[in-house]
Amino acid sequence: MISFLKLTATISLFILFFCSQSFADEQKTLSWDEAVKTAKGQTVDWYMWGGSPAVNKYVNGFLAKNLREKYGITLRQVPVKDIAEVVSKLVVEKQAGKESGGNVDLMWINGENFRTCKSNNLLYGPFADVLPNIKYVDRTNPTVANDFGTPVENMESPWGSAQVVMIYDSARISRPPQSIPALIEWIHSNPGRFTYPAPPDFTGSVFIRHFFYHASGSVDKWQGKYTEEDLRQAADATYAQLLQLKPFLWQKGATYPESPVRMNTLFADGVIDFSFSYHQGEASRNILDGLFPESVRTYVFEEGTIGNTHFVTIPYNAKDKAAAIVVANYLLSPEAQLVKADPGMWGDFPVVNLDRLPKEWHQKFLELPRGKATLTDRELQAHQLPELPSKILIHLEKGWQKHVLKGR
Amino acid sequence: MRGKTLLLCVLVSVTLPFLPLLLWSVADKWFYPALFPQAFGTRAWSYVFTTAGSQILDGLFTSFSLALMTTIVSLLLGVPAGRALGLYDFPGKKLTMLFLTLPIIVPPLSVSMGLHLWFIRLELAETFFGIVLIHLTFCLPYTIFVIRGVFSNYNPDFEAQARSLGAPPLTVIFRVMFPVILPGIIVAALFSFLLSWSQYLSTLIIGGGKMLTLPILLFSLIGSGDRPVAAAVSLVFILPAFLALLGSAHYLGRTGLKGIR
Amino acid sequence: MSGPGRKASLHQLVYLLGPALTIILLLFGGGLLLGLFQALDVSSATGMKSITFDHFRTVFTDPDFAGSIALTLYISLTSTLLAASISIVLALAIAHWAANNRIVNFILQIPLTVPHLVIAISFLLLLSPGGIFSRFFSFFGMIPSPSAFPLLVNDDYGVSILVVYVWKEIPFITFMLLSVLKNLGPELSEVGATLNGSRLQRFRYITLPIIGPSLGAACLIVFAFTFGAFEVPYLLGKTYPVSLPVWAYKNYSDIDLLARPEGIAIGLIIAATITVSITLSQVLIQFARKRGVII
Repeated sequence: MISFLKLTATISLFILFFCSQSFADEQKTLSWDEAVKTAKGQTVDWYMWGGSPAVNKYVNGFLAKNLREKYGITLRQVPVKDIAEVVSKLVVEKQAGKESGGNVDLMWINGENFRTCKSNNLLYGPFADVLPNIKYVDRTNPTVANDFGTPVENMESPWGSAQVVMIYDSARISRPPQSIPALIEWIHSNPGRFTYPAPPDFTGSVFIRHFFYHASGSVDKWQGKYTEEDLRQAADATYAQLLQLKPFLWQKGATYPESPVRMNTLFADGVIDFSFSYHQGEASRNILDGLFPESVRTYVFEEGTIGNTHFVTIPYNAKDKAAAIVVANYLLSPEAQLVKADPGMWGDFPVVNLDRLPKEWHQKFLELPRGKATLTDRELQAHQLPELPSKILIHLEKGWQKHVLKGR
Repeated sequence: MRGKTLLLCVLVSVTLPFLPLLLWSVADKWFYPALFPQAFGTRAWSYVFTTAGSQILDGLFTSFSLALMTTIVSLLLGVPAGRALGLYDFPGKKLTMLFLTLPIIVPPLSVSMGLHLWFIRLELAETFFGIVLIHLTFCLPYTIFVIRGVFSNYNPDFEAQARSLGAPPLTVIFRVMFPVILPGIIVAALFSFLLSWSQYLSTLIIGGGKMLTLPILLFSLIGSGDRPVAAAVSLVFILPAFLALLGSAHYLGRTGLKGIR
Repeated sequence: MSGPGRKASLHQLVYLLGPALTIILLLFGGGLLLGLFQALDVSSATGMKSITFDHFRTVFTDPDFAGSIALTLYISLTSTLLAASISIVLALAIAHWAANNRIVNFILQIPLTVPHLVIAISFLLLLSPGGIFSRFFSFFGMIPSPSAFPLLVNDDYGVSILVVYVWKEIPFITFMLLSVLKNLGPELSEVGATLNGSRLQRFRYITLPIIGPSLGAACLIVFAFTFGAFEVPYLLGKTYPVSLPVWAYKNYSDIDLLARPEGIAIGLIIAATITVSITLSQVLIQFARKRGVII
């Protein structure tokens, strides 16, 4: 017993020792030239969602090889199942006073996770303005300037653009419902053939945001001024609609797929008739990989679907910041964006503005093969809706869990 | 005859779950309701060997060295403790035994969540050593549990005889004690190796994803709806432990791996 | 089993037990204690001591708590009971007909080496609505479409979770039982037979008391493990309610800092529940023994 007390005492001493030390070190952002010079020989640990073999192939194959050859940087992908886990890890590190030597050099992020990082001072920067390749990006574009309503302010650098597309099998359904009201009607007349991933899953969450726009009858209002009362009413209307829908969902809404990929599996197996994705090219990609039948197609709602930008960012305590900056810049290079957009590689839509690219690169983007199920840029851009601010998103996710999932 | 039926039942129920893994890993197209893949292909395996190759090798290496290190430390600490508990009588023995084996029933999740913040402060989080420490919290108790059982049937009089004949202590340990408890050591080692090898959550909490063990790699891939790839990686994951079993079967003979989960 | 106890000097004991005790005390005891500090919000860093039971209160008063603990108990108790019953039959059968069959022994060892994670994936591929079983039934026209296949994954009864645990734990329990049965030999049962006991009686009064302690120990370990395990219910469980470990980790890894101490609190509640139920079961068994009930 005495030895036990001694040990606890020792532990407490350790704790006191490590907490009393302050690590206040002022951060000064590197210039581009400094970054390139320091980056050589560094290893970038890039924490990202690792669930997609196509993304992994692009990162570990193309990017890693080119970064090594061009800048002498070793890129190490750290696949995680949800980037929120990494954000939460940074929060603990901040709490524990770990101000330097952090293992996360780069994160693939956007939306609520970015907002948390930014408001808790978990980020290094501003750094995006020092990247030479940022000139290819139209930063006045609202989805690039604001990430789910949070001003980006160069604390993250854009990587790709996403827009929700509905996925269906043309061999099963010849004319899919073209709007949210039509979809609701379809679900009612085809019970058990539709479901969505349970929020806070990213894709499930965006699905209920479409319903929120529909139920509130407005899109623009939420980007600007609204009252708490407005939000409450619109949110309640959304839950009411979703609750009405619940008995007509797969398994009568008793359970939901945990992720969009589980939903894709259900769709591919013919259990449900629709899937949807944040990635415009995912359906084509899945056809190429033999996971979806050849007859699968995508479409967007007449009233539009939500689009956003995904970013990369550097944590405040990253060990290899210089190399992370160089990587962020390379991600925006025309060649990296072009290879990423190739449906045979990943098929993620470029975040660079084609008009800003040198002519020969612009041409290459135009010549890129388009996947069988991927819509045209024009079709997509004509039907793009903005994201809701993160605050409303959180409100909706929590509300969905309480009212729709748990029925309280 | 009944023995044969029994064998068949056991065989079928044990091997059944491996069937979907094998089939899916070589399936190129396999749409419902086909009973067998409509097209076979090597996409998943080429992903495992090329794109993810270095990551998987890295994961194999990390998992293996973690499990090996944990096992060695567990044995170094657990064999003496097991000897004390199995062989000797002393006041407070029951309590000591209870305390040393309590971690077997308390899940690693409770312990690692408590330690995490302090591991960060002590610079142990996200390090190899830190994860060995966290794995020790459940591997060591299991080792003690097994070794104690071995020593409760052990006769130390031979050691005394050897000593009286002038054998130095190390010779006594390695020439007299070791051969007798060897089967128990192998069981304990396999125990602790497999526990560490398949550990997910505590590695994730303390390792923060940086320590890319195979379970962590596999978990991040299950998120993908890519069943062929998930199946192929799963098979890679089973193989090393299976080989270890084959190797140890030779030593253990019929005694079996009693007590391993 | 242990013979007449031998004495060892204190010096010897410290030497033998010291290192192991230090590790377990520091890491295991320390981990739980530090967890408790965090869950009680004792901020030792600033030197200010303030203890609050708010986090525990939040967890206990959460309307999901009852459902969650019930689900977790249901999963662990059911899988333990199922695995134990099958294991008894299997162990007796093997002891009878295949005691020396190395192949049976080897095959039965295979599940011990397969991580829960992998086996969860394979049962997902087997049992999901579009899984291989569903394909089988559909192929032979027994069900019209995959939606007609009963939901066995992410379902109300946690069928796939139970299947995974039963598959994984049967060999574990069986080997624990076999190690006792092997030393036993057929003699005792034969004695029972000459005394004209029925099969059931022989099992009840001869076999069960002998395998009892091993069976009990194995069941406790299985119960504790399945109660505190994360991966399988996370992968195969329903959206709501979730099992306690899943809930604990979800809170712990929440980006909201306030949820973290709650996660730790749930982790400690899991540890406490396991310890209390095991202690309780031991006390009950002692009590029953005193009353002359043979277990």
